[in-house]
Amino acid sequence: MKKKFWLFPLLVCILMLTGCGKSLSDQSVLKNVKQSNTITWGVKGDVKLFGLIDVRDGQQKGFDVDMAKAITKHILGPKGRAEFVTTTSQSRVPLLKNGNVDAVIATMTITPERKKVISFSNSYFDAGQSLLVPKSSKIKSIKDLAGKTVIGVVGSNSVDNVRKVAPKAKIIELQDYAQAMNALKSGQGDALTTDNGILFGLAVQNPSYEVRGGTFTVEPYGVAVNKGQTGFTKAVDKAVLEMQHSGEYNRLIKKWFGDVPGFNYKELYRR
Amino acid sequence: MSMIEFHDVQKYYGHFHALHDINLEIDEGETVVLIGPSGSGKSTLVRTVNGLESIQKGQLIVNGHDLSDPKTNLNILRSDVGMVFQHFNLYKNKDVLENIMLAPRIVSHIPEEENKKQAMELLEMVGLEKWAHNMPSQISGGQKQRVAIARTLAMKPKLILYDEPTSALDPEMIDDVLQVIKKVTSESGMTSLIVTHEMGFAKEVANRVIFMDQGQIVEDDDSSTFFKQPKTVRAQQFLSKIISH
Amino acid sequence: MINIFTKFSSQLLVGLGWTVLSSVIALFFSLIIGTVFAILEVLPNKVARVIGRAYVEILRNIPLLVITMFFYLVIPKYVIKIDGFTAGTIGLTLYTSAFIAETIRSGIQSVSGGQMEGARSTGMTYWQAMRYIILPQAFKIVIPPLGNQFVNLVKNSSVLAFVAGFDLMYQANSIASTTFDTINSYLVVGILYLIITMPLSYYMQHLEKKLA
Ligand SMILES: Nc1ncnc2c1ncn2[C@@H]1O[C@H](COP(=O)(O)OP(=O)(O)OP(=O)(O)O)[C@@H](O)[C@H]1O
Ligand SMILES: [Mg+2]
Repeated sequence: MKKKFWLFPLLVCILMLTGCGKSLSDQSVLKNVKQSNTITWGVKGDVKLFGLIDVRDGQQKGFDVDMAKAITKHILGPKGRAEFVTTTSQSRVPLLKNGNVDAVIATMTITPERKKVISFSNSYFDAGQSLLVPKSSKIKSIKDLAGKTVIGVVGSNSVDNVRKVAPKAKIIELQDYAQAMNALKSGQGDALTTDNGILFGLAVQNPSYEVRGGTFTVEPYGVAVNKGQTGFTKAVDKAVLEMQHSGEYNRLIKKWFGDVPGFNYKELYRR
Repeated sequence: MSMIEFHDVQKYYGHFHALHDINLEIDEGETVVLIGPSGSGKSTLVRTVNGLESIQKGQLIVNGHDLSDPKTNLNILRSDVGMVFQHFNLYKNKDVLENIMLAPRIVSHIPEEENKKQAMELLEMVGLEKWAHNMPSQISGGQKQRVAIARTLAMKPKLILYDEPTSALDPEMIDDVLQVIKKVTSESGMTSLIVTHEMGFAKEVANRVIFMDQGQIVEDDDSSTFFKQPKTVRAQQFLSKIISH
Repeated sequence: MINIFTKFSSQLLVGLGWTVLSSVIALFFSLIIGTVFAILEVLPNKVARVIGRAYVEILRNIPLLVITMFFYLVIPKYVIKIDGFTAGTIGLTLYTSAFIAETIRSGIQSVSGGQMEGARSTGMTYWQAMRYIILPQAFKIVIPPLGNQFVNLVKNSSVLAFVAGFDLMYQANSIASTTFDTINSYLVVGILYLIITMPLSYYMQHLEKKLA
């Protein structure tokens, strides 16, 4: 039993050392992906329209996923391969920093706090935060949230945004969007908040819920890469621009957002 | 007045027929010794008397309670029928004094002071007043059995059942325990049913001897007749084996 | 690591508070419920035994997270509104009570049958014999395994994080995702868990020695 006393500090030391080690993320990603002819992308697996695992074939599908495939071809050429790793709002940054993925394209808003630890490409999609409520709900907009419980997802910036615009709302954070939606359905909260694109996806799956009150923030989505990977960031920016010029970008917008009720997809078009 | 009445009692353990057609009457105040070879059903018979074992057929009446009737309250019966076990069964989590005082307190609701006085008197009677605050694990087997007897007496039973009270004891401790039992049976006028292999002791205390074999009562006689000339061959063989030891 | 602790100390203390509160509540009630079902399992009545057995087998063979999600998502929809903390604590209590029942049952059964017979033959009822003779001895025997269950309980309380129960793990997730310093965030709460569990396990060992 006595042994435990020295075991404890030892454990702490080991954990601290692992926290300070140098990782793969310091090598040039652009060089690596060209060598292996493969880009490993972190994408969402539970967000309809952006990155959702199709239970029939186990493949991630959505706008983010198609963007990633297209960007891969633009950077590596027609033979380039895109591989996907499912991430959550919470795990995407650690996975990127650890070098498990080369880049993250997972409904990730470009924010100043995030820019302190990782780098972003230019925005490839302009979302805005909104609210999802039951159709019977009295909540009309962000102004009606005082004293209500708002559900968000751990690691997404939408929770912080609500804290700023509706300080009197009670906020609970769940692990992912599926759980957040379940919690909303069970009455654990009055509204679910995140980016409208994601909310529209949820509304498509759950017809008795709707997106209300317009957007109260601007959420430009960016491709996240590790700090210092300017070569790779520039390659991504160039690829997105090429897609916009060729109309490939707008075709993907129409493919994924063309059928969403109440959503004018043409607003998202870029030239 | 009879204390125990067996009428055509049958006891089964599953398919095993442990007691055959038991018919037996024991009167108040009698001291009966029950003997017989190992496995003959002595323990089983004694344990049916306070309902530790159930019977499957026949009628069994103890101290006016009908044990063949499932509605009979065994707790009331048992508060008048004490039992002393081969392995003492003292409460391991209670000291000697508490072992004696517990049942009078929570079963008969005797006032605490009176209860304690009685317990100390009983301990004195069995010669263990100095050990009142020891735990059962700190005293010898012979002492444990004397505490167990005191515990039984504290409930002022009308009948005491002893199931081989000295079989688990080292030889030098047996006498102390037998002395106590003798004192209890002679002084109190209580009814006693005693299973034992101690023939000398049996001769001394018993007014009646029952010999069992293979789940049946083979002989039932007064003590002096039985030990002088047992009627059956089985009893003769049994006695000669035991005495030659 | 120190940075995280100083910068988020109030958030961490809140988490510590909820974790301790949930653990204390769950410990108290799982001990009671576990004892009740342990007794059901050793009762002479066959129906009682079947009920006791079924309770234990069902609850200890379902993941804690599933039980908790049931109380978080299903119960509020059909029965009564309960929040994440309550749902998590109920899940934790029931889950742990199954293991405690199993532990105490084995404790009761390891007290020799002679103890019960000794007590019953003085006229005590079954329940008096249980209360004064059997259970005190059984509890003493099961203190070490019970201590393990209690430590497991504290660690398992991290299930609250999945239902927004504001516990240490929830705060760790939240801190990790705002600072992106995942390793140090979890390291800090790991140490905070140790601060709860180590004294608990030393106390159980002390209790074991004291009662031996
Ligand atoms: N609980 C039980 N289940 C099944 N069979 C039993 C049980 N108890 C006793 N028996 C059987 O019943 C028979 C009588 O047993 P019992 O203990 O009454 O004998 P006994 O005369 O007291 O013997 P001993 O002198 O060895 O104590 C034996 O064959 C024994 O194996
Ligand atoms: Mg016997």
